[in-house]
Amino acid sequence: MSDASASSPPVLDVGDLRVAYGDKIAVSGISFRIERGEIFGLLGPNGAGKTSTLSAIEGLVAPKSGHSLIDGLDTVKHPLDAKARLGVQLQASSFQPELTIQQIAKLYAGLYGVRMSRDQIAESMRTIGLDAELGKRFKQLSGGQQQRLALFIATIHDPLLLLLDEPTAGLDPQSRRALWRRIEQARGAGRSILLTTHSMEEAQAVCDRVAIIDHGSLLTTGSPAELIEKHKDDPRVLEVAHGEVTLEDVFIGLTGDEIRD
Amino acid sequence: MRSVTEADVGGAAAHTRPPAGLAFGSLLRADTMVLLRNRVSATLSILLPIVLVVATSFGKAQSRLGGAELVIALALTIGLITSCVLGYSLSLAHDREVGVLQRLQVTPAPTWTIMTSRLIVQVVINLIASLIVVIVGAILHGLALNAGQFVLVLLVAILGAAMFLAIGQALVGLVPSASAINAIGRILFIVLLLLGILGGTGILGDVMKSIAGWSPVGALMTLFSDVLSHAAWSGQDANALLACFGYIVVFTFIGIRWFRWDTHS
Repeated sequence: MSDASASSPPVLDVGDLRVAYGDKIAVSGISFRIERGEIFGLLGPNGAGKTSTLSAIEGLVAPKSGHSLIDGLDTVKHPLDAKARLGVQLQASSFQPELTIQQIAKLYAGLYGVRMSRDQIAESMRTIGLDAELGKRFKQLSGGQQQRLALFIATIHDPLLLLLDEPTAGLDPQSRRALWRRIEQARGAGRSILLTTHSMEEAQAVCDRVAIIDHGSLLTTGSPAELIEKHKDDPRVLEVAHGEVTLEDVFIGLTGDEIRD
Repeated sequence: MRSVTEADVGGAAAHTRPPAGLAFGSLLRADTMVLLRNRVSATLSILLPIVLVVATSFGKAQSRLGGAELVIALALTIGLITSCVLGYSLSLAHDREVGVLQRLQVTPAPTWTIMTSRLIVQVVINLIASLIVVIVGAILHGLALNAGQFVLVLLVAILGAAMFLAIGQALVGLVPSASAINAIGRILFIVLLLLGILGGTGILGDVMKSIAGWSPVGALMTLFSDVLSHAAWSGQDANALLACFGYIVVFTFIGIRWFRWDTHS
């Protein structure tokens, strides 16, 4: 981390965040920080509270209490200014089915205050291998192409922080690897990234630090190697490990092996 | 703007909130494109009323339906109710269900711009459709309209669009599922039309006739037909106007108060 980044606020500061839907508590007071240029992974089984945490940061749900600050800006008090610093790829990104790729790019450039000509859009699409699809509609793209477009739209305004909700879900191995490269490129360009994933392979491949959450609570945080080192002697982890302890063993040991819906 | 490179993935740095005008302009352009590409909506809001005015221009159909003014008023009302209660509400519910609204909501565009843009585009398309219907209707039914009447027809069309859009918005606010909205919208469409048309004729009795006069379709048809027949302003028109504004206020309140941006929260 540079001196400049050490003196500036963290890109994301989540403190004692609580989210509830009626009586159901989805997130129960979790806290974490993401620094500049860091890729942070949020791991958890289905229903653990990953998407609810992201939704609160994105402003899609109002937290019951706690705070989330993006570059020092409170997402509840200054939602629009916070959103201007945020790039988002939702779990099920959907764009207007009637619009072409070019029109979608034009729309979202305008929404983020970026002026892009048709030529600039075409050039951007060339860099992500979608230049031949400019006239196509979103639903006509393959899963990998849809994810590339969604990531392009999420980064169209060069955000400080990228939120990616299960970005590689449903992708084939080639598309998944290509997306990992793009995520690392985004980090190389100075962006910070918060992603949720079910894939331990993905967490180990791209994340600098990960947090494991379950039942809305944060169980542990650290780099993948640190988590393995920290929990390798935990009886719950040893019970599920087959040989050398892996991040997946730590994950299952801490969150249990029952199947979640 | 700096050039986009592979390493950048996306576009240019813009960490400040964009001007609302730029976002609003982008939304208006996109929403217009979406509505124009939606052939079902265009067909329902223009073709259906045109078919009605054409079909009633033969034989004695026009006089049986109460005259040219009533036929055109009915066609205009059907165009508006179809486009707003069926088209708008279903499109909004679908976009909510598949996540289009959520994706827009995480941008720095104020939420009012997202909804207002859709409404403005819908009203403008309705006005164009109403103008086409009234011109075709006037030609086919031999109705001579002056410029003032055209202006009044457009003003009543704005009022009618606002009323039916408010009803559509309330429907989307109260019902989470798009398929349920589709079914309820169709039933509502039939009930409102039957109440307004059959009730208004008096064949269902005086009480129903009175209720029909205050119903959305009945009130709007009263205003349209009185404008088209160049009738003097009457107490019935005042009641119809009052009813329309009442529906706009009540259903807009419901549509805003209970509206959810996604179907899960």
